[in-house]
Amino acid sequence: MAQVQTAEMETGHRGVAPGAPILEVAGLNKRFGGLQAINNVSLNVAKGSIHAIIGPNGAGKSTFLNCMIGLIEPDTGEVNFEGRSIKGLTPHRIIQRGIARVFQTPQIFPVMSLVDNVTIAALAKRDGEFKFNPIKPLNGANSARQEAEAILEQVGLADQRHGDAEHLSRGDKRRLELAICIAAHAKLLLLDEPTAGMSRHDTNRTIDLLKTISETGMTKVIIEHDMHVVFSLAQRVTVLAQGTVIADGTPEEVRVNPKVKEAYLGGAH
Amino acid sequence: MSTETASAPVRAAGNAGVKTFGREITFMMIFSAIVLTMPFWITLIGGYQGLATKIMVWAIFAVGFDILLGFTGLLSFGHAAFFGGAAYITGVVFRDYTSEIIVAFLASQVGVMILAVIIGFLSIRRTGIYFSILTLAFASMLFAAALAIFAPFTGGYDGLTMRTTPSLFGMPMQGLSVFYMGAFMLIFGFAVARTLKNSAFGLMLRSIKENPMRLEYTGVNVWAYKMAAFIISAHFAAVAGFLMVVYEPYVATKFLHWSTSGEVVIMSVIGGVGTLLGPIIGAAFLMYFENVVQSFIGEQWKLVLGLIFVLVVIFLPGGFMQLGSMIWKATGQKAFGGAPPPEGPRKHDSERE
Repeated sequence: MAQVQTAEMETGHRGVAPGAPILEVAGLNKRFGGLQAINNVSLNVAKGSIHAIIGPNGAGKSTFLNCMIGLIEPDTGEVNFEGRSIKGLTPHRIIQRGIARVFQTPQIFPVMSLVDNVTIAALAKRDGEFKFNPIKPLNGANSARQEAEAILEQVGLADQRHGDAEHLSRGDKRRLELAICIAAHAKLLLLDEPTAGMSRHDTNRTIDLLKTISETGMTKVIIEHDMHVVFSLAQRVTVLAQGTVIADGTPEEVRVNPKVKEAYLGGAH
Repeated sequence: MSTETASAPVRAAGNAGVKTFGREITFMMIFSAIVLTMPFWITLIGGYQGLATKIMVWAIFAVGFDILLGFTGLLSFGHAAFFGGAAYITGVVFRDYTSEIIVAFLASQVGVMILAVIIGFLSIRRTGIYFSILTLAFASMLFAAALAIFAPFTGGYDGLTMRTTPSLFGMPMQGLSVFYMGAFMLIFGFAVARTLKNSAFGLMLRSIKENPMRLEYTGVNVWAYKMAAFIISAHFAAVAGFLMVVYEPYVATKFLHWSTSGEVVIMSVIGGVGTLLGPIIGAAFLMYFENVVQSFIGEQWKLVLGLIFVLVVIFLPGGFMQLGSMIWKATGQKAFGGAPPPEGPRKHDSERE
């Protein structure tokens, strides 16, 4: 059963996605006690694409993303990023390879200026996971700080850059978190419901920003409930239900797939 | 609201660096002047020369502790291990080997570094209250060990006594010369901590306090930075412990006791966590209170001190530094003359501990 789905997925993949896969997941399994949260999931994410993972509540989407980033260690299966395994690495090592993560609740440094928030990420990219440099002052002449200023301008937060991050609106906090990911020069961005809890206005602004970032060639994997977001952004959609892949293809293909309709409607009954 | 308006004054930062440097020098000169003249002005307010030296000891301890608690947000209840550990090593060197303070200084620093690496390695895997309890446990173990299995070296419950007068290159170190050594160590330590605060390293430490998960998921080895902060603050504590024994050639068992760890926490909170200057003021206040005010109000002094502590925590969560910045704002910033504004902690700093 699972084998068939994998085969289906791969044939579909060749037809649609341009470019080589940047992320390859093969035969991933994760069990929490009696619950098989992820059941033999395989998935390829094409370089430069926006790939959405959708599915009803409890389908294992967040668990899947957490397996990518080292927050949860999968029981079996392979996760390869740019052809190298990232399984079992600590989160900061995975991030240093070029993956960034946007959380459901924006994770920022609240009582710090926006510039500091983004500078931290630029420094992490420049200096690696640890550098003991306690002498040189971190002023306007610093390359990381200059980069942070430029990125804040790019995401449209330049005029609030000296204010504390905690005072931003929900949508702007998300922009800041994305700015942090841009400063990290991530090649692959994992987004967990990036528009959750946002007004329609903020949602559309976030979609626009994500489109802009895509022009830099950053690959994205998005977990989303909001079909408006999925169909405005994604070039490819994978549908998870009860921990397994039930469909994979272009948004149009997925929209008309009977299994997907059943999964969503079945949950409603 | 923020999208369209592009920013004009982005690139005003260039010559601001020179200005900041000038302000920093002015600030450090004023600070040094106050510290170096302390033995003279402290007698005017009822103190004595030795009290000034004691204030140096605790101020150095508190500055180092602020790097850990104030920047990194790690509340260690075991820093007595480093203060007392260095004091005992210094005492043993003076009693059994030499009265040369350079030897004792190096021995205590090396000893505490080993201790800090071990305790840090075992404690920093846990966060929050568990970290505090682990550090407390390790320090208590060391205290128990000093009184029991190490008693032949430490003198057990009697403390470690010696008949040596510490000396620097043969010159005896007593009275004012000990104070000035301490004062230079404090000024140097304070400058080091301020430099560190403004560096990239300091930004990483401060961001641990803000959101360690975001930092880890930005590709930073949070554990390594915590470990570095822990070891640095342990070295400050070791300098203080060493200085204490040079000031008064006797090692009390209390130096290793948990109440010593507690005292430095109280100093930091009263003064203003994360401000560096605050904990120094807190240390001076507590020492002054314990040694001078005590003689006026008698046995109730601990009660009064407790009351002050409670009032500060409730009404001034940013400590005396918050009070300072409130006065600074109320007086239209004129009262402080040319000095840079006191860096009051941001409003949430202590509430989120």
